[in-house]
Amino acid sequence: MSENVQMKAEHDADLKQLGRLTRRELKELEEKEKTPIQKVMEVVLMILPLVCGVVAILEYLLLPDQSRNKNPMYYVYVLVIFMIIYFCCGLMAAYNKWKGNKVFYEKVRFVAPLCSALFLLLALYDYLTLKTGTLTQPFVPCMNFIINAFVADYPMLIECTIHTLRLLMIGYCIGVSLGLVTGITCGYSKKVRYWVDPVIKFLGPIPTSTWIPVIMVVSTSLFAGAVFIIALGSWFAVTVASLTGISNVDQEFFEAARTLGANKRQLVFRVAIPHAMPSILQGCTQAMSSSCVALMIAEMLGVKAGLGWYMTWQTGWASYDKVFAALFVICLIFTLVTKVLERIKRHVLRWQNGVEK
Amino acid sequence: MEDKKVTLKLDNVSKVFAKVESDVVTHALYNVSVTMESGEFISLVGPSGCGKSTILRLVAGLIMPTLGKVTVDGKEIEGPEPNRGMVFQKPTLFPWLTVEKNIGFSLQMQGKLKGNEGKVERMLKVIGLEHFKDDYPGQLSGGMAQRVALVRSLINEPEILLLDEPLGALDAFTRMNMQDEILGMWAHAKQLALMVTHDVDEAIYMGTRVLVMDANPGRIVADIKIDEPFPRDRSSAQFVEYRNEILNKLHFGGKHN
Repeated sequence: MSENVQMKAEHDADLKQLGRLTRRELKELEEKEKTPIQKVMEVVLMILPLVCGVVAILEYLLLPDQSRNKNPMYYVYVLVIFMIIYFCCGLMAAYNKWKGNKVFYEKVRFVAPLCSALFLLLALYDYLTLKTGTLTQPFVPCMNFIINAFVADYPMLIECTIHTLRLLMIGYCIGVSLGLVTGITCGYSKKVRYWVDPVIKFLGPIPTSTWIPVIMVVSTSLFAGAVFIIALGSWFAVTVASLTGISNVDQEFFEAARTLGANKRQLVFRVAIPHAMPSILQGCTQAMSSSCVALMIAEMLGVKAGLGWYMTWQTGWASYDKVFAALFVICLIFTLVTKVLERIKRHVLRWQNGVEK
Repeated sequence: MEDKKVTLKLDNVSKVFAKVESDVVTHALYNVSVTMESGEFISLVGPSGCGKSTILRLVAGLIMPTLGKVTVDGKEIEGPEPNRGMVFQKPTLFPWLTVEKNIGFSLQMQGKLKGNEGKVERMLKVIGLEHFKDDYPGQLSGGMAQRVALVRSLINEPEILLLDEPLGALDAFTRMNMQDEILGMWAHAKQLALMVTHDVDEAIYMGTRVLVMDANPGRIVADIKIDEPFPRDRSSAQFVEYRNEILNKLHFGGKHN
């Protein structure tokens, strides 16, 4: 009898615990126990990137080169650094998991297969370029050449990066702010829209890069011309997005706000703009991708600085290793910029997802 | 709110709407005259298209009458004002603001939020949602959202409270609970409340007066005083009698006809 009572008390305590569960704890509680095979697989999966890294290094060191390879150890260093970074992350993850926090572990576990694939891909690439020359040389340089180009030419690359970023930021910011102003006023005032709509309809469908030849001749400085082109593209994207966003605000929200004592200005800034925010930010993302395209075209065709210019210039000298180095930097910059935008968007629109606070 | 009595008067009011696609117009309200006073809880019932919501929107100041006058204490209504609060069928909470900020919205718009944070706190307590104050409306259930919408208007201590089918979208149990909650708040503040509803029972249960309306053109066909103390018994003989009377006016009468 007393045992029964005790069991019931324990069960009650368990039930009480249920009330205080977090989402993560609930997931763990309801998850099935992993079988031994699954557990082993998990460990193998976590270690696999390191194995693949070793494979890549061995492939590079053991097979004979087809062409002359300067500073051959650079590539190995880079691979080793990547492996060390992964190893440290793995250690941290294991430690956190042991302490009961699985968040970081799951992140590492998520990227582990991708890391393995990356190392294998590097090995394959090296085999196709440096070792066999299957990919036409010297147009597709092997990784070690590209790394060498970085080391040899990094002051120039940094300078070009700064130029590119400056051009992108100035053009984008001007375009976005003007786009916000026109889009919001048009969305709100029918009179302004009457006059601006034809301009948008006329200029809108023209791809911004079409302007480049004209602008390069007309504008006083190439830099100003490039800024204009980038700004034009982002202005258009943001204008259209904010215009639709504002004119799609539910009438009910305006009515509710009016009965709550909001004046005209407050209706714009406190109701219309926040409501249109998802659309506006969508426009900003679109503007960024169009800006990036316009930027590269402008730099390749006319502007005498920046990564685009650097690439065309180095192509002229047949230094494809440097072209590829610049390509990597461009990729890095654009990824970074998109990430930052995404972050901003997530923060501003945090009210959209119910779970995140 | 110190016993400040207001009189709301609709004086031969007609409202005509133009249809979008054709040149035809609809008579949403035709020559309606009615007087209401503070302390009354007026239910407006009738089929759709009878102009019940139009009356509310006229009083709110969201639309202007085509003919006639809507006055509060003799002064014509010129536009929306916070002392005529309105609650809509949809909660229309601003999804980008937290519950707390939604409730404080009106005070903020009037520049009165500073020093009145206690009011927001009190409103949260009234509806029992203190723990949800930092949540966004997207995370609330329909009933909770409508409660927030209710106190969002009540924070201004309006002289006239307009309820446009506020409980229409709620399930039956939440609905009955909220009927009592609204009655409680009204009994406390004793303002003039106007509520549109489709539900005859709700109209009788809550109203001190029921205005029965009919469509084509929109007009008031009966003005019935409900002379029973609160809380009312939905199954009492008196209640059933009121219901029959109203249903008869709406041509839904039973076999007696």
